[in-house]
Amino acid sequence: MTANFLIGLREGLEATLIVVLLMAYLTKSGRRALLPRLWAGVGIAVAVSVGFGALLTFGPRGLTFEAQEAIGGGLSIIAVGLVTWMVFWMARTARTLGSELRSRVDGVADGAAWGLVLVAALAVGREGLETALFLWAAAQASGESGTPLFGALVGLAVAAGLGYLLHRGVLKVNLSRFFTWTGVALVVIAGGVLAYGVHDLQEAGILPGLHSLAFDVSAAVPPSSWYGTLLKGTLNFSPATTWLEAAACVLYTIPVMFFYLRANFRPPLRRAEAPAATAAVAS
Amino acid sequence: MPGFSSPQTRRTVGARLAVVAATAILPLALSSCTDNAGANASGTTDGPIQVTSTDAECKVSAAEAPSGNLTFAVKNDGAEVTEFYVLAEDGLRIVAEVENIGPGITRNLVLTAPAGKYITACKPGMKGDGIRADFTVKDSGKQATVDADLQKLVDTGVSQYAAYVKDQTEQLVAGTKEFATAYAAGDAAKAKSLYAATRMHWERIEPVAESFGDLDPKLDAREADLEPGQKWTGWHRAEKDLFPPAGYKALTAAERGALAKQLVADTAELSTRTRTVELSADKLGNGAKELLDEVARGKVTGEEEIWSHTDLWDFQANVDGARIAFENLKPVLQQKDAALAKDLDAKFSALQAELKKHAKGDGFAYYNELGKDEVQKLSSLVDALGEPLSKLTAAVVL
Ligand SMILES: [Cu+2]
Repeated sequence: MTANFLIGLREGLEATLIVVLLMAYLTKSGRRALLPRLWAGVGIAVAVSVGFGALLTFGPRGLTFEAQEAIGGGLSIIAVGLVTWMVFWMARTARTLGSELRSRVDGVADGAAWGLVLVAALAVGREGLETALFLWAAAQASGESGTPLFGALVGLAVAAGLGYLLHRGVLKVNLSRFFTWTGVALVVIAGGVLAYGVHDLQEAGILPGLHSLAFDVSAAVPPSSWYGTLLKGTLNFSPATTWLEAAACVLYTIPVMFFYLRANFRPPLRRAEAPAATAAVAS
Repeated sequence: MPGFSSPQTRRTVGARLAVVAATAILPLALSSCTDNAGANASGTTDGPIQVTSTDAECKVSAAEAPSGNLTFAVKNDGAEVTEFYVLAEDGLRIVAEVENIGPGITRNLVLTAPAGKYITACKPGMKGDGIRADFTVKDSGKQATVDADLQKLVDTGVSQYAAYVKDQTEQLVAGTKEFATAYAAGDAAKAKSLYAATRMHWERIEPVAESFGDLDPKLDAREADLEPGQKWTGWHRAEKDLFPPAGYKALTAAERGALAKQLVADTAELSTRTRTVELSADKLGNGAKELLDEVARGKVTGEEEIWSHTDLWDFQANVDGARIAFENLKPVLQQKDAALAKDLDAKFSALQAELKKHAKGDGFAYYNELGKDEVQKLSSLVDALGEPLSKLTAAVVL
């Protein structure tokens, strides 16, 4: 029961965090009208995952293990690309918030609709297939032994609840700080997602180095513990991390964070310079 | 304003990304399906293999299965989340896995496995190496027939052998370090006990090791074979020092230290170089024959380990190496010359059975404990195997 709860919680957090932060961003910047697009992406991902999961479980054909890992890993890496793009899009629009450029910015946000749908779909979808397979298995088992499905669903619900609380909490934060920190959080999470994607591809044998570990702290942070679960769910932190994962994470997070902070901490009030700065970010 | 692209262009960027994502994923998904065995009638399996994972155990209902589609139904009867892996023979490459099996849940792992040796592992708590067991996939007789498949079989065999070489060199490096440490520290008893067992990893892959003309003499030269002026290093130098003949003057601590250091360094160099060796079917076939010739030349005569008399360890290791190479080529050989494959199988078994008679504990009897007719028996079995083995390369490659 507890273990199944933790699986649900972890997978739920992995899937929702990015969506929650983007949601908070849209709300905060007064673009609630775009929220349905985010939800549409989530809906698509859930529907596709559940359907695909059912097909793989009950249909005549299943996916090879390499294919499953390659899809999970591939989606993770594409998701990182898109989230990065979103983060800079946010940085750019946040800077011009409240200025006379607002209407133009909204136009840009309109254009990013596809991106929003896609980010949401990828953020949820990359974990969706695995979660759906697990839930179908749990549903099959729930007749015979206790309530594994119940545990998993409670875990998912708690993840959603935590997401909601985070969303509410984040909304209370003061505006300028909010924009910086959601971005920072997204970059950190994306770094973890990238490492996770790399790991999947290593397991599939597409990338090498599965057994060259940079560190292994699984004795101190057991993956099945609640804190291991939270670290994995929020930051995609793996207690046994390969060199390639670590390198991918560091090589992504540090430069992206640098450019992100530079884009954010330029003095925002010198209006004459603003367009030039945004151009630099956009290129 | 120059900083902003129009809504139109942004929209196309998004759409393009969607297309890229879809094209990246879809073909992959479509091309990598596998049959959900068990449920369908393709019929190479008799129902799924049951795996029960608890926090301390990993019960697999069968230790072997016929090649084709395999289904493992993995049930978690423990309290922790578990994972189930099918690993290649080297214990490193993941052939297939299923993660996130919560308590009370059964998840299926379906894979298409060619004949060969595998390792199964449950990982309760999702950490460590897991609870492992050997698993064999036997040839179901459903043979691939087209040339493309034949080439695939060759490639698989060669890469399996490469994995074997890698595994053996890794164990050799670790074992050599341990041996050298004990030896350099003057712990003769420990060094003696490690000597023969560590050398087995070397002897198993000797043909690959010998392809480096400079390293082989540094590591494995016998005193009798030394060229004039050649500096004597390696295993047999240490052997003489550990198992000294009468009147032998022992090495000083400093000399021992230097020898041990050299041995470790040369072994590390060997390990690095084997990583980039290009293996091929003919190298496997010829290597198997060379190993058997080694047995005939040095081991069955007791010349290799003239002081320690641990020749039978080397003997076994050479036979291991030859047999693994043969077995990795066997799927190909069975299609090209099934009779030869059968003959080799029988002769390897006969030699192995005879060798086993001299097993003692983890090791073997010393060579000087063998009777003359016992040596004769081994020798004739080696000759009997050598004859068909010399045909292996030609049968596979031509
Ligand atoms: Cu996951």
